[in-house]
Amino acid sequence: MPPAPNRALPTKEAKLFREVLNHYESRALKNGLKTADQILKKFPDHGETLCMKGLILTHMGRREEGIELVKKGMRFDLTSHICWHVFGLIQKGEKNYEEALKSYTQALRFDKENLNILRDSAHLQTQLRHYDSLVDTRHTLLRLRPTLRQSWIGLAVAYHLNGNLAEARKVLEQYEEVLKNVPDYDVEHSEILLYHVRLLEEMGEAKEALAFLDVNAKSRAIVDRIAIMEHRARLMSELQLLDAHETWRHLIEQNPDSYAYYRGYLANNGIDLDNITEDTRDKALQTLQEFSSTIPRAAAPRRLALNMATGMTSFLTPPSQDDHFRELATPYITAALEKGVPSLFADVKALYRDPAKRQAIQDIVEGLRDQLVVTTGPEPTTYLWTLYFLAQHYSYLSDHNRALELLDLGIAHTPTLPELYAFKARVLKRCGDPFGAAFSLDEARILDLQDRFLNTKCAKYRLRAGLVDEANDILGLFTKKDAASPGADLEDMQSLLYLTEEADAYHRKGNLGIALKKYGAIQKVFNEFNDDQFDFHGYSLRRYTLNVYLDMISWEDRLRSHPAYVRTAISASKIWVQLHDEPSIAQSKLSTLGDAKKAKNKAKKAAKKVQEDVKKISSNSSSNEDKGLEPQPTKDDDPTGSKLLQASDPLERAAKLLEPLRTLAPRNIDAWTAIYDVAVRRKKYLQAVKALNTAHALDSEHPELHVRLAHFRHTLSSTSEPPPEPVGQVVKDALAKLLPDEVSLEHFNTQYLQKHSTDGRAIVASVKVSRLLNAPADQVESSIFAVFNPETTLNLKTALDALAFLQDIKSPRVDEFKGTCDSRFERSTVFRTPSEQAALRWNAAETDAVNGGEDKAEVVG
Amino acid sequence: MNIRLARVDDLTGMQACNLQNLPENYTMRYYLYHILTWPQLSYVAEDEKGRIVGYILAKMEEDLSEGEEPHGHVTSISVLRSYRRLGLAKRLMVQSQEAMATVFRASYVSLHVRKSNRAALSLYRDTLGFTVKDIEKKYYADGEDAYAMRLSLKDLVR
Repeated sequence: MPPAPNRALPTKEAKLFREVLNHYESRALKNGLKTADQILKKFPDHGETLCMKGLILTHMGRREEGIELVKKGMRFDLTSHICWHVFGLIQKGEKNYEEALKSYTQALRFDKENLNILRDSAHLQTQLRHYDSLVDTRHTLLRLRPTLRQSWIGLAVAYHLNGNLAEARKVLEQYEEVLKNVPDYDVEHSEILLYHVRLLEEMGEAKEALAFLDVNAKSRAIVDRIAIMEHRARLMSELQLLDAHETWRHLIEQNPDSYAYYRGYLANNGIDLDNITEDTRDKALQTLQEFSSTIPRAAAPRRLALNMATGMTSFLTPPSQDDHFRELATPYITAALEKGVPSLFADVKALYRDPAKRQAIQDIVEGLRDQLVVTTGPEPTTYLWTLYFLAQHYSYLSDHNRALELLDLGIAHTPTLPELYAFKARVLKRCGDPFGAAFSLDEARILDLQDRFLNTKCAKYRLRAGLVDEANDILGLFTKKDAASPGADLEDMQSLLYLTEEADAYHRKGNLGIALKKYGAIQKVFNEFNDDQFDFHGYSLRRYTLNVYLDMISWEDRLRSHPAYVRTAISASKIWVQLHDEPSIAQSKLSTLGDAKKAKNKAKKAAKKVQEDVKKISSNSSSNEDKGLEPQPTKDDDPTGSKLLQASDPLERAAKLLEPLRTLAPRNIDAWTAIYDVAVRRKKYLQAVKALNTAHALDSEHPELHVRLAHFRHTLSSTSEPPPEPVGQVVKDALAKLLPDEVSLEHFNTQYLQKHSTDGRAIVASVKVSRLLNAPADQVESSIFAVFNPETTLNLKTALDALAFLQDIKSPRVDEFKGTCDSRFERSTVFRTPSEQAALRWNAAETDAVNGGEDKAEVVG
Repeated sequence: MNIRLARVDDLTGMQACNLQNLPENYTMRYYLYHILTWPQLSYVAEDEKGRIVGYILAKMEEDLSEGEEPHGHVTSISVLRSYRRLGLAKRLMVQSQEAMATVFRASYVSLHVRKSNRAALSLYRDTLGFTVKDIEKKYYADGEDAYAMRLSLKDLVR
């Protein structure tokens, strides 16, 4: 395409246009705008000027107008690299990286060697993980600017990301050869050298890596002493060099609480810390003992020793002999209780996998308690922390009554220790009394109103009890006062805890619209995390912090394996499936608009200092009039989520949420059953059977899988549009491997129930399948009551699941079921009638100290 | 508890810990900025399950005036209430200071604390040895003053 006929401007305007570019570069936006208008007065159709004016307006916050002008300018001049560059910038601002890269590619067609465009392209290619083209772009940049250190490093990193370590190494070596005049003590150079070491290590060249490290450590070109020692210890161990343990020892002396260092030290002596055997035990314990005595302040060796020491493994062994564990655990536990270490139980709980250790710990602490009761020694708080520990211990063993008794003893002894109330709350929660739990945590909170930890916990418990407004009220004690609402601040600050708990609370309340919105807010946080990396593609190369940059890339690639994403993606997908199955829900939910006020949108106002710092990441510093290229948050036109409820594509939305879980949560069976639920409804039968297959490999007897297997057979046999061949046969064959054709579903279900007749979860699953097979309602209902058989294990969650099922089929026996649960789960309140719960809810927030708290604190304290 | 250098993977845990403990919170971008600029300076404490129960988020001061010595700054440090009295804050601080001194030749480390936060003030002053250098009026977004505190690292620089 030839250039637009009117691109060339007369000398005067051409000069003005260069001024526009300069004004833009220095973000003198108003001047840029004025100058652009001067040109446009004479040449209203000048494409490049129109685009620049549009870009400037967008920066000034006049987005719609600006984008309109950019598009107009493009139409006048489709062969200008400036127009395409501007368009790419706008798209990049909208985080539309794919389209932005296309525009940059166009721009480069018309100006092949434009450094800015090449650099921006490289960042987009990295963001999109187009590593092949990234390597090409970095090559071009190196060819154009071979004297820049960044050009070399950029190419090496590009090769590394593309998996070509050998080329990365070559580039790095060439760079180091031509390098001259490195100043002394150059941290950036030091980081590049450490990257070189990592590269060699990843290539399996341990020997060369060590040699390279040693040379550069000696010359003090590498200045990070800890990094030197860590690499050195690891490499020497790998090479089985004799004095590796010296380096490990140095590291331990440097940081005697790093588990990795002890792991390394021991591994170097042929001891696997995570897998102690009879042959290695004594040696390992002896080593840790030595470290304990040379570095008394170190806590790690004493704790690690508890993992390794053996308890009494058999009752035949006389207690005096071979009870090394008790010998080590007694001073460890006693010291912590005397000091009042609240985390002691959380710390030793992991040892409970070994019943002998669990018993030993119980004996030690019970013994201590007896002693303290008798002597009522000088330190009454030790007694208190002993009660606190024992309460946690017995609650862990499901003896909740005993736990509560102990806590009440403690509270009577010292009514001002928040931990006692906080743990009481936890016990009540475990008993199925969310209201009592919320009340108790509020008691804890009031004892230390300055403590955000207790505040957060209290809010969480209120949300668990369905007290959403009351939770937000107290959260507001610590959120920014100028935020639109406490929730808005916590959402801005990306609090996954808050967003998850609040979404779940709405979900439990059946307010599906707001629940979906909150789940959506969590997706948004992860999208932000994903966008956050963009600026660092350039920044980290300028800073030369390459190792941590590569770690960031890999973190971003695994981002959605985060438990908060996995859990909430599954929950949200369940709502979408529900909306697909019963579209009428969307209508009925529209009336519950009561929560609209809280769902109001927020104004972004992060702390000033933070903004200033963050600006440093982007290369262009911006002045106040510059609003940047990112669209400003728009007004929320769906505060209650009612539009979401009416979305026309619920299954597609669910599928999109679940997509990352296939690779990032491959061992999560709930993820696979959720994937099945969506796939089968979308008639993606191959995907559905694959999901079942994967779930089957994880746990072939899982109750949720049992329900799905029956569902899938049932669906395939009753569908009016079976999957087309050849897929149909593949699907059938795959299913037959999991559920043989000759087995009827009735038989399959009976078999399953017989096999797991004492498992409450299995009973509920088999009842769900009976219902699917159209068993008579009264039969279905009476079978579910089998969960109350004395020999059946039934936990709270399963009981609630069974109840939800009965409510779902509108069973007349719901109240009977609730009543039985209510007496079965002593202390529970979740099975009470709605009106009883309303009263409990009201009580739970009674101590609300938003305004009157300080007075109360004085009374209690 | 395991004390070790913070990794990128820890940032969500550090952010969660910060939100539970302190009123000054930051978006992920700010955590990334710290760790990608000074990967040597931030440390975490993790429990047996690998959960982050304490952290120190630290940086070097970038805008030095003429003649000013390089120095570190603690942006945020906190330990979950349920993990206190183990000396974790001190352990985290010591590791970070050592790195400030040896990698960046920092001559001192500074931090800010809300005037009203007596618990933190006592931690910094009595346990960690910081001294109040100055009062910065209206340092915080809500208008509260801050104590600017300092601790010399001269003994550590080598």
